[in-house]
Amino acid sequence: MTSAMDAAETRALMCPENLHEGMKLGPVFYVVAPAQIEKFARATGADSIFLNDGIAPPTMRLQDYALLIAKHFHGGSGGVHAKHWNEFHAPMHAGQAVKTEGRITRAERKRGKFYFEIEYESHDAESGELLVRQAITAVLLVEGKIS
Amino acid sequence: MSDLISKPFQLDAAAAIAYEEGVEGPPRRTPRVNIHTDDAAARKAGFRAPIAGGEQTYAVMATFLVKSFGLDFLRGGRLQAALIKPVFYGDTLTMHARALDGDAGPLQLEVWTENQLGERVLVGTARVPRKST
Repeated sequence: MTSAMDAAETRALMCPENLHEGMKLGPVFYVVAPAQIEKFARATGADSIFLNDGIAPPTMRLQDYALLIAKHFHGGSGGVHAKHWNEFHAPMHAGQAVKTEGRITRAERKRGKFYFEIEYESHDAESGELLVRQAITAVLLVEGKIS
Repeated sequence: MSDLISKPFQLDAAAAIAYEEGVEGPPRRTPRVNIHTDDAAARKAGFRAPIAGGEQTYAVMATFLVKSFGLDFLRGGRLQAALIKPVFYGDTLTMHARALDGDAGPLQLEVWTENQLGERVLVGTARVPRKST
């Protein structure tokens, strides 16, 4: 049965046919939350380094790719994270407004698996200063299986 | 530079829950059921049990680099890594770094993470601004 929320869904289904190289994702905006810094730092064993200065741990916003995906796609079975890279340009601070946007830089079937790569950048939303560039490569799960 | 080795980090269920609380994911209509949370979903994808998120393994390596080289790593540092074996809840991870080159330019490192069996689960490289070393 189709729910009212499903009927109102305007995003594309997360599946190989809908992922295309060059597709722009975002932007998304957020403010770096002090509570998130505290939780993330404690979860990765780094609380004493970051909490004093309100600096976000280096990969705290790595999951921005998921926000970018969710803005454009729905459903799907998720994926398996295969590779990642980060270039750090400036620290993120508590209370800082950030804009993140990206694009799909790779979408291909290789050795029976469907890989996609998203490159994304986060900037200070007010000054435009580049904070971090990064990319995720993942294997898309199709119907729950590594396709 | 001699090889660097971290203290052991146990990625148990409590650490995974703490990590989930420390990231901002998309809002969900239903509880998360996937290879990280559900036995059946993990087996269907080819794993013997639910696996920890690769992002957390990657985050622990990034934190190790900041602990080792200071916050200057966040101005000009780089990390790239492949997640080559699954990490299961309860695994104990140890992070390693080894210098690759000489004295000029940024410090180039080979980095890897081992589980409690000595198996590499993450392999990659890192660049550290020389001023922070």
